[in-house]
Amino acid sequence: MRAHPGSGRPQARRRHPFLSVAAGVGAVLMAATACGDSGSDDGTVELRFSWWGADDRHSTTQQVIDLFEAENPGIKIVPDYTDWGGYWDRLATSTAADDAPDIITQEERYLREYGDRGALLDLGELGEHLDLSGIDPLVAESGDLDGKTFGVATGVNAYAILADPQAFEEAGVEMPDDSSWTWQDYVEISAEIAEATDGEIVGTQSMSYNETGFQIFARQRGENLYAEDGSLGFSQETLTEWFAITQELLDNGGQPSASESVEIESGGPDQSVLATNQGAMAHFWTNQLGGISASSGRDIELLRYPGETEHERTGMYFKPAMFYSISSGTDHPEEAARFVDFLLNSNEAAELILADRGLPANVNVRAHILNSLPEADARSAVFLSEIEDTIVDGNPPPPIGAGQVVEITKRLSDEMAFGNLTPAEAAEQFMAEVEQATGAS
Amino acid sequence: MSALLQRRPATTPSEPSSSGASRPVGKRPAPGGRRRENLAAYGFLAPWFLGLVFITAGPLLASLYFSFTDYSLIGDHAWVGLDNYERMLSDTRLHSALKVTFVYVFVSVPLQLALALALAMVLDRGVRGLPLYRSVYYLPSLLGGSVAIAILWRQVFGANGLINQVLGFFGIQGEGWVSHPDYALGTLIVLNVWTFGAPMVIFLAGLRQIPAMYYEAAAVDGAGPVHRFWNITVPMLTPIIFFNLVLQIINAFQTFTQAFIVSGGTGGPSDSTLFYTLYLYQRGFGAFDMGYASAMAWLLLMIIGGFTAVNFLASKYWVFYGD
Repeated sequence: MRAHPGSGRPQARRRHPFLSVAAGVGAVLMAATACGDSGSDDGTVELRFSWWGADDRHSTTQQVIDLFEAENPGIKIVPDYTDWGGYWDRLATSTAADDAPDIITQEERYLREYGDRGALLDLGELGEHLDLSGIDPLVAESGDLDGKTFGVATGVNAYAILADPQAFEEAGVEMPDDSSWTWQDYVEISAEIAEATDGEIVGTQSMSYNETGFQIFARQRGENLYAEDGSLGFSQETLTEWFAITQELLDNGGQPSASESVEIESGGPDQSVLATNQGAMAHFWTNQLGGISASSGRDIELLRYPGETEHERTGMYFKPAMFYSISSGTDHPEEAARFVDFLLNSNEAAELILADRGLPANVNVRAHILNSLPEADARSAVFLSEIEDTIVDGNPPPPIGAGQVVEITKRLSDEMAFGNLTPAEAAEQFMAEVEQATGAS
Repeated sequence: MSALLQRRPATTPSEPSSSGASRPVGKRPAPGGRRRENLAAYGFLAPWFLGLVFITAGPLLASLYFSFTDYSLIGDHAWVGLDNYERMLSDTRLHSALKVTFVYVFVSVPLQLALALALAMVLDRGVRGLPLYRSVYYLPSLLGGSVAIAILWRQVFGANGLINQVLGFFGIQGEGWVSHPDYALGTLIVLNVWTFGAPMVIFLAGLRQIPAMYYEAAAVDGAGPVHRFWNITVPMLTPIIFFNLVLQIINAFQTFTQAFIVSGGTGGPSDSTLFYTLYLYQRGFGAFDMGYASAMAWLLLMIIGGFTAVNFLASKYWVFYGD
């Protein structure tokens, strides 16, 4: 083997000979087994489309694919889906192996990680095949980085409180007035519900596992999770207060115990306290309302976040639910662009997808399906339009490395819930770890 | 080999090299036949050899190289010297991962081997239906590392799982065993101990090798079962114990699937099941820190190598090879 690791010229950023050798052998093997994956003899173009989600998303997306293939006989779309948990590991591995899906569903916290490393195409360059003119201006530039568009928003979402009126009724507690409720109200109502039902129904599911809730909390105080330059945008006091609310709910029984919370959290939306009828409130994205309502068998309602009127400004915001992006390694950027265009701009596709990927980002398409939405999704559409006027601004793009914050948040929440860290210590450690992960120190 | 040596005097000197293949290193290789046989051998070896070079050795050396770079999985990389190894010194999560892994290895392996030996001895006494029992006890070894069993484990030890339902029957309110940091590692240790079948089968074979006359002689001299166990069974079994010990320690250090599934890939709650390999995976594939993950892989290799070396050195003092 001539490519010896010790003999490499280390200073330069370059692909190592090992990779070339491995790639070469790989190519020979591929050729030998004749398994070219992006085209076949009859001229059909084959594209892979990856997304995460649960079963109903897989089946509707397959219907959308069938529809697209019927309209575009020369293109075949191969589905490539997993649940959220395994999605990013798989995408990282296949991207590293130069085998990324042609069309990739992305998320805010990971988009730039890939875009910045050259793994995604600039969608702006695909002009004629991909029409981005109908996109809601609120999220139109949300996938941009350094003047390049690495992803286009699938739809619009907001993080909110989902509440089960029946649980409130069983506990004999009145639903809060979400136009003016405070964080103190939230804590007291939760404790009241748990007390009234002897713990049979908890007031709320733990909110500390998702940093999004804190982002709203910080925005209410004129701060934010990340500043414009990607550094931390909040003070340690604010984060300590945020963790202290969870600590208070753990102490007064308003939320499930630490180990119950771990179990609920690992089960995803389908195992949430709302889905299993064991709690009155939980924090989720509006596009999850449909799924959770279905699991619970009840009419779950949406509430604004507590504390929206407590401080100088509101904290809630619209977020691009997901992004469609195209791999820079695709052999067929044109066809991939046509598929993304279909997903975004076609009424027929939207009639199937509805609000599952957020309320459609294309405003014309959104208007087209608004009346045909199922009940739960229609409620979230109404909710989004109601809060639209109270939203002050969007968020600066999260820094590269923000994907790691998901894990850090969960771990430190556990540490605090099990009594290993005080809220202040958790806040301090969170800031140190996030600064390290995002290189913002 | 010994069979060959024994057989050689029997061949007549008049046909010195017609059976060339059975000679060790031929002084005068028979032209043609021998080379053809060698070629055939290489041919049959080739798939394994290619696998070794490209699937094992290639990536192995590549990871050594990457451990000195800031390789991020996507895109380019640069040489950073010993940076990754230096970072390990101050990485507190790495230290807790090491602690978790060491606890797991040093608790679960002895327990597993003790259970395996105990059951092997019971079965060795001539239970009716031995093949059935042997298969039943061996089954967990085949399944234990699988995703399905890990998922089952999460259910069994969950807050509303089987264990707590049984405890509830006796009026005991159980914890969510896999979701509490004080117990989560314990459930994984139990899972590993449960897969005692493989060492058990090996012990069983070892027990069969001990000549019955030793036990008869000891019985005649009035040695009780405890004496017979410590003075005959254990010494005669030491080579088997040694073999099982080396194998299980290496296996235990590399545990991944169980921890990944039971904790949902997080190593939680609060890092209590963050095994070394799981942390390595998180760094490499979650945090795009493949250079560091590669360095971690080499540290693990050194740790396992170190333990195996110590094991072999120590074996001189306690392993008894009979002759």
